[in-house]
Amino acid sequence: MRRRLTPLGFLFSPVGLLVLFFVAPMAIMLQVSFEHNSAYSFETGYTLANYREILTDPLYRHVARDTLVIATAAMAIQFLIAVPLAYVMAFKARRFELPLLLALVLADELNPIVRIYAWRELLGRQGLVNDALQWLGIIDKPLDWLLFSKFAVITVLSTSWLTYTVIPIYAAMKAIDAGLFEAALDLGAGWFTTFRRVLLPLAAPGVFVAVILVYIPLFSEFATPALVGGRSGYMLGSLANSLILEEGNWGAGAALNFLLLVASGLVSVLAFYLSKLNTIDR
Amino acid sequence: MTVPAEPYPTATAAIGREAAAPRSVAPRSERVRRLVPVVLSVAIALFMLVLLYGPLLLLAVFSFNNSDILTLPLRGFTTRWYTQAFDDPSMREGLWNSIIVATIITPICLVLGTLTAYALTRMRFIMRGGVALLIGATLVVPWLVIGISALLFFNDNLPLWGRTDLSLRTIGLMHVVCTFPLVAAIVGARLARFDRTQEEAAVDLGATQMQMLRRVVLPHLVPALIASAIFAYMWSFNNFEISYFVGGDDYTFPVWAFSTLRHSQNLPVVNAISTVISAVQVVLVVIAWRVLRPSADDPDAGGLIPMGMP
Repeated sequence: MRRRLTPLGFLFSPVGLLVLFFVAPMAIMLQVSFEHNSAYSFETGYTLANYREILTDPLYRHVARDTLVIATAAMAIQFLIAVPLAYVMAFKARRFELPLLLALVLADELNPIVRIYAWRELLGRQGLVNDALQWLGIIDKPLDWLLFSKFAVITVLSTSWLTYTVIPIYAAMKAIDAGLFEAALDLGAGWFTTFRRVLLPLAAPGVFVAVILVYIPLFSEFATPALVGGRSGYMLGSLANSLILEEGNWGAGAALNFLLLVASGLVSVLAFYLSKLNTIDR
Repeated sequence: MTVPAEPYPTATAAIGREAAAPRSVAPRSERVRRLVPVVLSVAIALFMLVLLYGPLLLLAVFSFNNSDILTLPLRGFTTRWYTQAFDDPSMREGLWNSIIVATIITPICLVLGTLTAYALTRMRFIMRGGVALLIGATLVVPWLVIGISALLFFNDNLPLWGRTDLSLRTIGLMHVVCTFPLVAAIVGARLARFDRTQEEAAVDLGATQMQMLRRVVLPHLVPALIASAIFAYMWSFNNFEISYFVGGDDYTFPVWAFSTLRHSQNLPVVNAISTVISAVQVVLVVIAWRVLRPSADDPDAGGLIPMGMP
């Protein structure tokens, strides 16, 4: 008699592991977010106080707004770099196409803390960027806003996530028939019209994938703002860290984290839906 | 009306200014016109390379510089930062912990990931979409959220389970949770492409399911498995957020680097050790790349790159 392979046999341990250590922790986090803070009060039972604290405190709102600004700016800059780069890789690079792809993949596998540190060394008051600008005579005293600022956080984040922005867009462009561009040009479209009416709509699914892979994690960045953000580059991820590990305010930390999770779910669903919509349209 | 001197006047007009210009100028302006996109392409590619690798290369150069701040001019060659780095006991502990965790979890991730990928690509069952969604979610949910929820989970006094002490073990456990879905994605992409008729033929010729798996499926998966192993190792080695939250008093290399950088201004020691680690990582990734041998027609190399992931 032959032994049949059943899905249960294959999936029991992987799915069990995820349920125990991925789903259950999320459930615990949800529970903690509705509990009174054990460090500050002895009340038991459930409450909405943590969510009220997160959503109404003006300081938190300020951090949330800064996070939105930083994440959106970093995403926009990455698109500005990624769309031309993906186009070059997909249609122009020829024998350099794969080396460029390797360079992107490799960049993502290098240690992120090391990368942040390298930027910090470059952007500091005595860093190479200030040195170079002074030597060239563009500025006479070091620029202060290069490091420990929003500028620093946006710069570092734009480079650390570039791999995941470029590759989905590149993959989407790779699927485009290059003949379409010739057709558009033959029909009298200029390069801008070709870009807007042909390239961009066909590359849109890749753009949505990039949003899921990059824009969402940007909101919960923690290492980058902590190392190069200073006070003005403070983000929600740093806030979650200080609520949980420094203040011991687990309820509020859990509530904030849960809101981040819900927001990331909503953005994912929206981006996924938009990418599908576009596929049907075409 | 007379017949025009030129046989195809409209064609000439359509080609435009370059063609209409005097002959001696035309080739040159044509060359310039063709050169512009090439120059732009090269500029864009170089810009990316400088952005991604410039800072790290400078770090490497300055790790041999005989000065404790990273500033020009260079003050002569030294390797003392390297000796200092490896003499630092806390650095050694972090590095060693990272290596141990990554080495232990990589084979576990390979097994779990391959099982998942096989079930998802070869079997039909209820909840298949649900399982795929769960796997995808672990790859998309930010590590900070996973790390904090795990911290709360391990600290919660659970029924039957109790509290779990945070240590390297919890780090390793959570690394498995967030890394094996990557293996599932890489191996799954390979399986999705692999022709199923060979598997069916094996079964028709009397192979048992296990024989079919061992003799037909596994050999095809070898490249994907080697690449998965390298990438799983990297993910674990580089993971900062999860290790930071669930490590308790134990720490891995990224956590050590983070706290060292947070508390002091300039550390040429970190330059040195960063350079060593980056060099090793470059070698490993290039090996993975060679093994997968992507080509221009098939650039995602069996799921190496998250092209259609979510």
